[in-house]
Amino acid sequence: MTSGLGATGLLTPLFIGDVLGGLDSIGVPVTQLLQMADSIAFIILAAIGLTVIFGMMGVINLAHGEFIMMGAYITTLSVNVVGLPLPVAMILGALGTAAFGAIIERTIVRRLYGRLLDSMIVTFGLGLILTQGTRIIFGNSLQSIGTPFGNVPGYTYSAYRVLLLFAAIAVLGGAYLVFTRTEFGIQARATIQDAETARTMGVDTDRMYTVTFAIGSGLAGLTGALYAPSATIVPGMGQSFLVESFVTVVTGGSTVLLGTTLAGGVLGTIDAIFSNLYGNFIGQIALLITAIIVIRLLPDGLTGLAHTIRDKLGERQ
Amino acid sequence: MSDNHVSRRSVLATGAAGVGAALAGCSGGGGGGDSGSDTIKIGVLEDRSGNFSLVGTPKWRASKLAIEEINDNGGIMGQQIELFDPDPQSDNQRYQQLTERLIQQEDVDALWAGYSSATREAIRPIIDREDQLYFYTTQYEGGVADKNVFCMGSTARQQLGSVVPYMIENFGTDIYTIAADYNFGQLSADWVKVIAQENGASVNNEEFIPLSNQNFGSTISNIQEADPDFVMAILVGNNHSSFWNQRTSAGLDIPMGTSTVMAQSYQHKRLEAPALADVYGGFNYMEEIPTDRNEDYVSRYYDRFPDAGYANQESVNNYFSMYMYKDAVEAAGTTDQQAVREELEGGMEVTGDQSPEGDISLQGPVHHMTHNMRVMKCDADHNITVEDERMIPEQFLSETVGIDLSGEDSELERQFTPTEYYDAAGE
Amino acid sequence: MMDVTLPPRLKRIGNKLNGPNTLGNSRAFWAAFAVGMIVMVAYPLVRGSYAAGQFSLFLAYGLLALSLSLIWGYTGILSFGQVAFFGISGYTYAIVSLNLGGPLGQTVALPVAIAAATLSAFVLGYFMFYGGVQDVYVAILTLVVTLVLETFMAQTAGSEWSIGTVALGGFNGIPGIRNFALGVEGASISLSGSGFYWFVLGILLLAYLGARVLVNSKYGYALVAIREDAERTAMLGYNVKRVKLAVFTLSGALAGLGGVLYATWGNYMDPSVFSLVFATIPIVWVTLGGRESLLGAIVGTVIIERLRLWFSVNASEFAIVFVGVILMTTVLLVPRGILPGIKDSYVFFSKHGIRDGLERGRATIQTRIRAWLESLGVGQSDTETPPSSEVVRE
Repeated sequence: MTSGLGATGLLTPLFIGDVLGGLDSIGVPVTQLLQMADSIAFIILAAIGLTVIFGMMGVINLAHGEFIMMGAYITTLSVNVVGLPLPVAMILGALGTAAFGAIIERTIVRRLYGRLLDSMIVTFGLGLILTQGTRIIFGNSLQSIGTPFGNVPGYTYSAYRVLLLFAAIAVLGGAYLVFTRTEFGIQARATIQDAETARTMGVDTDRMYTVTFAIGSGLAGLTGALYAPSATIVPGMGQSFLVESFVTVVTGGSTVLLGTTLAGGVLGTIDAIFSNLYGNFIGQIALLITAIIVIRLLPDGLTGLAHTIRDKLGERQ
Repeated sequence: MSDNHVSRRSVLATGAAGVGAALAGCSGGGGGGDSGSDTIKIGVLEDRSGNFSLVGTPKWRASKLAIEEINDNGGIMGQQIELFDPDPQSDNQRYQQLTERLIQQEDVDALWAGYSSATREAIRPIIDREDQLYFYTTQYEGGVADKNVFCMGSTARQQLGSVVPYMIENFGTDIYTIAADYNFGQLSADWVKVIAQENGASVNNEEFIPLSNQNFGSTISNIQEADPDFVMAILVGNNHSSFWNQRTSAGLDIPMGTSTVMAQSYQHKRLEAPALADVYGGFNYMEEIPTDRNEDYVSRYYDRFPDAGYANQESVNNYFSMYMYKDAVEAAGTTDQQAVREELEGGMEVTGDQSPEGDISLQGPVHHMTHNMRVMKCDADHNITVEDERMIPEQFLSETVGIDLSGEDSELERQFTPTEYYDAAGE
Repeated sequence: MMDVTLPPRLKRIGNKLNGPNTLGNSRAFWAAFAVGMIVMVAYPLVRGSYAAGQFSLFLAYGLLALSLSLIWGYTGILSFGQVAFFGISGYTYAIVSLNLGGPLGQTVALPVAIAAATLSAFVLGYFMFYGGVQDVYVAILTLVVTLVLETFMAQTAGSEWSIGTVALGGFNGIPGIRNFALGVEGASISLSGSGFYWFVLGILLLAYLGARVLVNSKYGYALVAIREDAERTAMLGYNVKRVKLAVFTLSGALAGLGGVLYATWGNYMDPSVFSLVFATIPIVWVTLGGRESLLGAIVGTVIIERLRLWFSVNASEFAIVFVGVILMTTVLLVPRGILPGIKDSYVFFSKHGIRDGLERGRATIQTRIRAWLESLGVGQSDTETPPSSEVVRE
């Protein structure tokens, strides 16, 4: 099942093993670092699709978890039924979910712009249909695909889970480039800031909304695809991403990608430390309490703090 | 599928009749035995959607299979069984509403309902208020002594009593328990301690995992650090199934015992090998049991439900208990619930094709089953073999607490926990 | 407004009940309301005690919906936290009543439980509104708090999690809560079946009328002003934070009252009252019924809950799919909710007459469908060609 990733898989662990061994010998708590990487990756990936759609379009997608589930299902079915190599199946998972997102935007979400709460209810309804529809069509679970790469050399830790951190960083970087460096990104942000003006300047704002929603959905689908090899593939699997993703959105604040990065880093670290010291339950509670404290102290989230610091530094110069 | 159609129509018709009766001001006395109708009404509430549908659907299928077989062979005392089986959607509020409805409006003669202990506890007040004959068929933490409830599943003490001694004998005395952080998990962990002590071993580490957790990085590192002789993994639900892939890819190869994995939600069929390699479970049933009687049952099951994923442990409990109810009604000569209860309390033998796991018996005074417990091993290719087999009776209520629901305790409606009776459990 | 022949005192009350912030103020509305109440009161006599018992759950949920309508529909603060107060109150009632025992214990437990819900709402509300948390962040924060409670309560299975003699019970919850009762030993009433139904109906009626008086008072105008434009309201001299906190606390108390009735209805409390689905469902009730209508919230609750039960009995695994479809279509087709929709069409038809109204309605629907099809990119044809052939042409 790991055919496509095998070649890279052979090279990287050796290299990583050496580096980690070196770190361990100078007293760095490597296991904790691995776990931190795992947690940070999970939080960033859980949130990314939701934050793009919420941050750029002001739509809270309560079917976010189901979009993740859809990505995981497409990936798993592509591997199990069609026999595609895992990386291709993952790309298909992301693209399939993006296409679905585009259809949903065109038919439903489009009619609800400016009606934030109605869009929440409609997407909640959509989530119910997707979960139960999947259950009716594909049954209560799918045969899962194995996790590639094995363990981190020298440590009892799944290498794949750690590598997801790099995937998360790549996803954030890619999204950053798309929204800041491409013609599309500039037009999309213009549309979101002031649709009227953008339209007078010749931007096809309808298309911008559709594409942005599709990208957000595709990112959710990609998250599902990336977690398909290490999660249980059941219709309700998206639920387990939901709390983390919402917590990240509020903690991150208004600037989408910066917020997700900062929140992912902070929350992931806290989650890892507390789960390690006091068990998983305390880890979860710590995560939620952190979010509450951040919102209380920083109503604009971590990006608000970042902007304040930047402004202060600017003044000093 | 065609008789499915017919039965649904007849259900609707009777439903309408029920509404009519209610309209006429007859609120339904509840628990009332044979009302002179020519069918026997049975309610089956099993989840076909929501969190527990993976385990609930096979339970529903097996009940349906048993009822259809009984009806095809002339019913119970010549009366056909009429099935009421709405989908409670893994939702406890829904269970409460539907339980009320089945008792009050449909006036069912017996009720099978629920997967989780939380569901059982949610409907038990209604069951007891209406004195409704109720069969609970999931394996569970044990200790329910309720005049109206018959527990068909194996208890934690029976399951762990089969696998923990086997693990101690074969792998050593240093135990690490990871268990789901809720009632069933915590009580099961208590039982591991009790049984370990009885067998000269000790639980040196214990970790409780929230049901919502699906990242096991820290748990796996902790186990590796402690390096026990074996792990008792009492993990529950879809999220916890992620543990096995993560364990395998992390290279954790310490043998693991369980009472929950595989037999209920067939992880060995759903996860890619070798995720479940070297996992040993103590169960009263798995689809793979290599007896003629069981192979015959499995083929009947799949003939009826070609799309089914697995015939799980719980489903067989639903199956044999339906036949046991039939025998009890025929012995009592009536569906009157009190009479059937007394008949059951006299003890029942479940034998032959009616019990795919092997010949077993009902311990009447405690409303629990003596089960044919097996230690089942999953190898690296996910093949299942039987490693050990013996009859284990329910012991906690019958011996430790000393309950007799057929005599002095005939009005009891409560659940006992091991902490009240064992020092080792409370720690 | 109300019947002019009423004695002055009743008329004063009538004036308080009516106003621009409630949809139904006409005599026709009150006549229909009275007929509705008679039907509701007669319901147990017709359908029997069992049906009434089942229905009383929906009425208890109605209090929850009413609390959300106040805080969200009128003040514009979307809260997922109403179920948290509902659950806190239910749990408190269970703990206090089971510890004290007897009808007196239950009588004491009622105010304690509501006080616990009210206090929780006050603390959370103070924290949010005085901390500058706004808009959608309130929604997410209340959701997070609710989910924390779920996680917390689900792991309280151990014997160390007991309050007095009552174990919190973790995932399995607290069983054995008594039917609703008031009084002292020897002189008490215990309610179940029809009795409980009438009691809950009475409470809900009082709560509804009370809420009507509230939203049509000066205070109610402030709530609506905050919903429409909080900044301008502040500039007009209102203490927006304090008003928000007050209404949030009040809605917490209402939800708490519902929670007690819920606990005594099922004789059971478990952490699923804090779950995501249960936290979302009240929003669905209120949206469907009409969020700016107090009565709409209650009607929406009853309709949705009846439908959900009906589907789970009759549609087995398709039940949840149907619920999803109903949610989506209602929000898309009747955006303001069912009751305002009824009122709109009532006003529409009484203005245009039945025949003309039908004609206009048909034209409007046609235009809307055409606009919708166009938005899908199906084509901009003025002919009456059915949409399917449009697709083919593409």
